[in-house]
Amino acid sequence: MERFAFLGRFARNRGALAGTVIILLVAFAALSAPVFFPTDPLRMVAQPELWPGEDPAFPLGTDSLGRDMLAMLVHGARATLLIGLFASAVATLIGVSVGAAAGYFGGWIDETAMRAVELFQTIPNLIFVLTIVVILGSTLHNIVIAIGIVSWTPIARMTRAEFLALRDREFVQACRSMGMGDFGIIVREILPNALPPVIVLSSLVVAGAILFESAVSFLGLGDPNIASWGRLVGDGRELIRSSWYICAIPGVAIMVTVLCLNLIGDGLNDALNPKLRDR
Amino acid sequence: MTALLTLNNVHVHFNTAAGLVRAVNGVSLDLGAGETLGLVGESGCGKSTLGKAIMRLVPVSTGEIRVEGTDIAQLQGSALTAMRRKVQMIFQDPYGSLNPRSTVGRSVAQPLVLAGWKPEAVAERVDTLLGWVGLPTDAKQRYPHEFSGGQRQRIGIARALALNPRLIVCDEPVSALDVSVRAQVINLLEDLKAEFGVSYLFISHDLSVVEHIADRVAVMYLGTIVEIGSRDRIWRQPQHPYTKALLAAAPIADPKLARTRTRTVLQGELPSPLEPPAGCPFHSRCPIAQARCKTERPVLRATGDSAQAACHFI
Repeated sequence: MERFAFLGRFARNRGALAGTVIILLVAFAALSAPVFFPTDPLRMVAQPELWPGEDPAFPLGTDSLGRDMLAMLVHGARATLLIGLFASAVATLIGVSVGAAAGYFGGWIDETAMRAVELFQTIPNLIFVLTIVVILGSTLHNIVIAIGIVSWTPIARMTRAEFLALRDREFVQACRSMGMGDFGIIVREILPNALPPVIVLSSLVVAGAILFESAVSFLGLGDPNIASWGRLVGDGRELIRSSWYICAIPGVAIMVTVLCLNLIGDGLNDALNPKLRDR
Repeated sequence: MTALLTLNNVHVHFNTAAGLVRAVNGVSLDLGAGETLGLVGESGCGKSTLGKAIMRLVPVSTGEIRVEGTDIAQLQGSALTAMRRKVQMIFQDPYGSLNPRSTVGRSVAQPLVLAGWKPEAVAERVDTLLGWVGLPTDAKQRYPHEFSGGQRQRIGIARALALNPRLIVCDEPVSALDVSVRAQVINLLEDLKAEFGVSYLFISHDLSVVEHIADRVAVMYLGTIVEIGSRDRIWRQPQHPYTKALLAAAPIADPKLARTRTRTVLQGELPSPLEPPAGCPFHSRCPIAQARCKTERPVLRATGDSAQAACHFI
């Protein structure tokens, strides 16, 4: 019952529903990429700079090296979505751990954690990501970790605030009076109650991570073995005055995906925090 | 009568930004097995803090809290966990005391699981417990928000009973309930006491409830006990001026009786526990205070065979 009510509330938000449908299509395209485009998308297959629609075999045209734009876009969806999801997972893991410890224990742990959060927040995010990628090297793993490291602070703050509100509730005191340990109380009692707003934030971090990755790739610091959307935009930038579609097509894909993720985030917010939904 | 719970000069002090708050300031009392001790006093007098100190939910600054002879005031780790099973708590707010994301079955089973019971034994015990407090066994799969306040308080009672505790600290267990449901919960508590011989420390500001359930009553004011004695003695012959004022402030159902009684109405507010008055804590509001009360703090003295009061002029 609970679950169906949740889905109903989520679906009532039309934007969120549309966003979910589009993201599912993108995810489906990403998953089925090897079926429809079994060959390496970075292979040259036709004459360069074919405009979209010029040749029915390449509906989105080809880039400056004669590579199929559609194949690269579909394979790129895979890289882009994976980076977004994993970076958000890293950020959520760090953010929830730090925020939960800070909010639950308070005192010097809280002070130290919050000063660390502020330290991270004072560094401009993009520059921080670029610095980490340059130091660690441009591999997919390092980019995911770098984005996670700059994106965890809002999650930590949110988790801390939730824990501060919940830690002195009577059901937590009841658990303490039964002799439940701190770890059990944090993970099994408080966390399930603190998660809804954190999930909303995590879904927004996915969108932010995709933008970060695009920026990194656009600047040429992305993983050279992976055709993410950001890299496609970056590859096309020299031809932006003649063949602008090479930049525009992956650019629109990024925009639509990020927009849809934000819509989903809003929808989750409405569905998980029903008291705020009719404002 | 051997004492189940003995408090010896218990202090609970909190360091706050505004200064040191003496929430509990030297409380000593005894609670026998199978006895119900009512703890009354106005809001902010420290009665809930004292209950939480006995549960070790707030740190005890100094003093002894003996449960069956063992001092638990500074126990840590597994020794504390073992003692916790003997003392359980029923909370004031039936909406806050159950995890909204746990099923009722999980909440009630929690103390058993923590005590290391086997899953089959836990399931059986949960059914028994829900039966005792008058809830259907299918309540197990449901969530707290599906229950009324009175039912939730029953769930809290079932959880408190799970490990056969010797003492249950009841922190205003019926204050948040409708009057119509209060009697049911009070009667349930009395039935359970008769059946299992459990003791209650019954914290309340509702004098009519305490009069009904308590064997003995302790009156608390500003972190200290000003009078303690058997219920009948306290109600019929209150000695301390604060007890008199407190009882006089309680409404009486019979308007004819109510009109005839003389009332002493207390002036002023409860002093801040940040700066408790020197001497007797009650002297700033006491109708019979004299110069001595401002300098010398009275101790509890016997005022009869079953009562003690802390006042210089008794």
